[in-house]
Amino acid sequence: MSAHGNNGKPAAEESLTPSELANKMVFTTGEAAEVCKVSQQTIIRCFDSGRLHGFRVPGSRFRRIPREELIRFMRENNIPTELLEAGRKKRILVVDDDEQIVELFVDVLSRDDRFEVKTAKSGYDAGVLTEQFKPDLMILDYMLGDINGNVVCQTVRKIPTLAGMKIIIVSGVVKQHEIDDLLSAGADEFVKKPFNIERLMGRIGELLEIG
Amino acid sequence: MSTTSVDASRARRVELILGQLESLPTLPAVAMRLLALTTSEESESEEVVRLIKADPSLTSKLLSLCRRSNMGVRADAISIDRVVLLLGYNAVRNAVLSLKVFQLFHAGAEEAEALDAASGPEGEAASNFDRRGLWQHSLAVAICCELLAHAHPHIPELRPSDAFVCGLLHDIGKVALHMVLPRAYQRVTELAELNQGNVAEFERRVVGIDHHTAGKRLAEQWQLPHEIQDSIWLHGSSYELLPRLEHRALVGLVGLADLVVRRQHIGYSGNFAISASPSVMARAMGLDPEKVEQVAGRLFEEIRLQGELLGLDDQPSQELFLRSIQNANEALGRLNAALERRGRAASRQARTLASIAAFQAQAGSSAGLADVLGRVAAAASEALGQGFYAMVCRGASGEPWLVAQFGPDGQVRRAKYVDPPSRAVQDAWRTASDPGAVGLMALLPWVTDYLIDASDLHQVRLLPLACGEEPAAVLLHDRPMLPPREELEALTLTWAAAIGATVQNESAKRLGEELAEANRQLAETQDRLLDSQTLIRLGEMAAGAAHEMNNPLAVISGRSQLLVQSLGPGSEEHKSAAKIVEQSHRLSDLISFLRMFADPPKAERAPTKVGPMLDELVRAVQAEAKEYHKDVPLSMKVDPSAPPVMIDAKKVAGAVRELVLNAMQASPKSSVHISAKVGPEPDLLTIQVADDGLGMERAVLEHAMDPFFSSKAAGRRTGMGLPRAQLLARAHGGEIKLSSTPNRGTTATLLIPLRDPPGVERSK
Repeated sequence: MSAHGNNGKPAAEESLTPSELANKMVFTTGEAAEVCKVSQQTIIRCFDSGRLHGFRVPGSRFRRIPREELIRFMRENNIPTELLEAGRKKRILVVDDDEQIVELFVDVLSRDDRFEVKTAKSGYDAGVLTEQFKPDLMILDYMLGDINGNVVCQTVRKIPTLAGMKIIIVSGVVKQHEIDDLLSAGADEFVKKPFNIERLMGRIGELLEIG
Repeated sequence: MSTTSVDASRARRVELILGQLESLPTLPAVAMRLLALTTSEESESEEVVRLIKADPSLTSKLLSLCRRSNMGVRADAISIDRVVLLLGYNAVRNAVLSLKVFQLFHAGAEEAEALDAASGPEGEAASNFDRRGLWQHSLAVAICCELLAHAHPHIPELRPSDAFVCGLLHDIGKVALHMVLPRAYQRVTELAELNQGNVAEFERRVVGIDHHTAGKRLAEQWQLPHEIQDSIWLHGSSYELLPRLEHRALVGLVGLADLVVRRQHIGYSGNFAISASPSVMARAMGLDPEKVEQVAGRLFEEIRLQGELLGLDDQPSQELFLRSIQNANEALGRLNAALERRGRAASRQARTLASIAAFQAQAGSSAGLADVLGRVAAAASEALGQGFYAMVCRGASGEPWLVAQFGPDGQVRRAKYVDPPSRAVQDAWRTASDPGAVGLMALLPWVTDYLIDASDLHQVRLLPLACGEEPAAVLLHDRPMLPPREELEALTLTWAAAIGATVQNESAKRLGEELAEANRQLAETQDRLLDSQTLIRLGEMAAGAAHEMNNPLAVISGRSQLLVQSLGPGSEEHKSAAKIVEQSHRLSDLISFLRMFADPPKAERAPTKVGPMLDELVRAVQAEAKEYHKDVPLSMKVDPSAPPVMIDAKKVAGAVRELVLNAMQASPKSSVHISAKVGPEPDLLTIQVADDGLGMERAVLEHAMDPFFSSKAAGRRTGMGLPRAQLLARAHGGEIKLSSTPNRGTTATLLIPLRDPPGVERSK
């Protein structure tokens, strides 16, 4: 996840492994051309015309394209992003103010190497991490110390870049109408504590389409 | 008309009478002055002389009186001064008073006669009221008083001259009443004579005021001394009842003298009641009965003497005596006639009384209303003769009415409580007040529906048994003749009172029972409330604790699940870890269940087909049963073509599920049977779950719906299933009923109303 994975050399000659591709945050024009399956010249032309945003390495002419911007560009031009995503670990953010619960989720999820897990103990931390970590799925405790799950749902759903993020709410006590409210506020699933691990993992797989 | 308005008009009338009394002619001034002077004021005799001298006619009367009295004084030599000296102050005073009162009596008499003449074409020998006779009576009482006082010199209160005046004026009220209301008073004297009664009673009844009160008012008006006022007012009272007045003895003496005189039939008093014997009365007053006898014997002679002396009565003593005997004979004759009339009435009344007495003797031990009605009917048959008898007894508002029919001797043939009739009939009931006059068909036609083989219902008459304003019951009878009104009244009042008392007694008893029942219900409700409040608090606590408890439970459960996954299947550790998972979920279930009491579920109704719903449920239960229970066959009977009903399918299925699981745990011998239908009421879904398992003892059955109660060995879901099902049923305003026989099995009936009862808040 280092933003400094780039060594400055043109990387056109050797192709990237799926895992490298999945974790790369900044692309050279050659790498971008490989991912998009177009010529490097096309990438450069698009970069220079402003259709593909990026930056030049300070003190040199080398063009660099951030991962986010590349994905936006690919989607805009209907270029399949599978190659970029394939092999990438699914990012899961666990938000609960109970440390033991957080640890339990981390242990459960870490046993599966398809997941990369980060944790937050409050609604505020969760907000910050969703921006940085860009999770694919959030496991959210309904009753946090500083904010309720439905508010988190609503807030998150207003952020366009998080539109694809799945949300599973977990709680010990929720009334049926509250569950209904949560689902309409943007939650994808409700799970009652205590939960059956197998069933929970099955559901997570379904939501992330990684059966 | 009500009694109050009668009282009001009587009060007005009495006031009118008293007002007229005030306008009566007063005693002449000289008499007033004489009355004001007391016997002890001999020194005032000069003033007496001066007063008499001022009245020429009085002077001449007195002088002639002196001459007649044969005092051996030469007539021409006499003067008033000498007369006073000769006769004594008191004698002169009494003489003057007698003269003046006589004049007063006569003044009124002339007016009254004039009035009588004007009113009656023949006059009808006009008046019973004999003013002259009354004057004789008054004078006789005065003389008698004086003699009695003389005979008892040791009693200082009895001064002869005072006694004379009191006696003379004691009946002044009669004169007054006759002057004011001659015709009404005429009626009074007739009634008193006819009934041989006390005139004062008839005065009160006819005029509204008696001569005692009228006389007292007049005496007050004339400002007569107190002892005279009280003699007038109280001479009719028995001595024992007299207030402890200073001049009590004097008042009593007038009463005694009145009695003595009346017993000798001297003059006319209008009073025919001879209440006591003079000797008894004398003894009560501390007088000597023998002396009273002596005075009575001397009375005629004394009256003659005094009359002569006063020149007031020209009748010789002999004639007076004869008149008295004649009076006495007439009185005796009237008395005989009255007695005969009374005898006839008495023999009739005796029969009525015997009937009432017999009835009362029986009624004492009465049990119920029907019983009392039977006794009334029996008594009626006794008193009115055998015939058709039935009785209608009104119930309290909204309560049924009792219609009872009786045999010829009063035995109950049929007694039936019927629905209260329409308002109009109830109004008619209120007007049923005229005994015997109203036909059955006219007033209570609806009753005929309940009567059997009454020969001719048009002959049937109503006899209201009134106790208070409205009839307590109505007696239906076919008697053409009823006893005279008074006797009938006595009978009906007695019967009505018995019925009224029984109705009240029964309603009091019923009220008592209702009160006891209400108390019991209240106690039960309080118990239940206490129970449910305990549960609600527990539920509230559970709700609060749930969040805190479910997190550790999630950790316990999660960690043990991880253990289960990492441990090899079949090992002891693996089993233990699995147990931990199971138990943590059980604890979580318990918390959820408790929360239901704090926040009871509400039905969210939607059209549901009961058949498919139960099918699905049975499949799920059977799948689960393979894991947890013995495999028990489930059978089901539901009409597949039944239309959808409005229920909360999830909750109803949840409730049935609990019932089925409960049945399966009861070790059924053959199977668990589920049936469902709409009925017995159109808006009621009835689902039954029956097993032929162990069944429940009564004590277990009573507590089966209590949370956490279980007679079974500990196991999954122990003690929560039925209460949870009950909560789910109540979400629909429904309930679960259990019936069970030990070793025969249990049937649980789930009753789900298809509409929310009014007042139930609909969940959104």
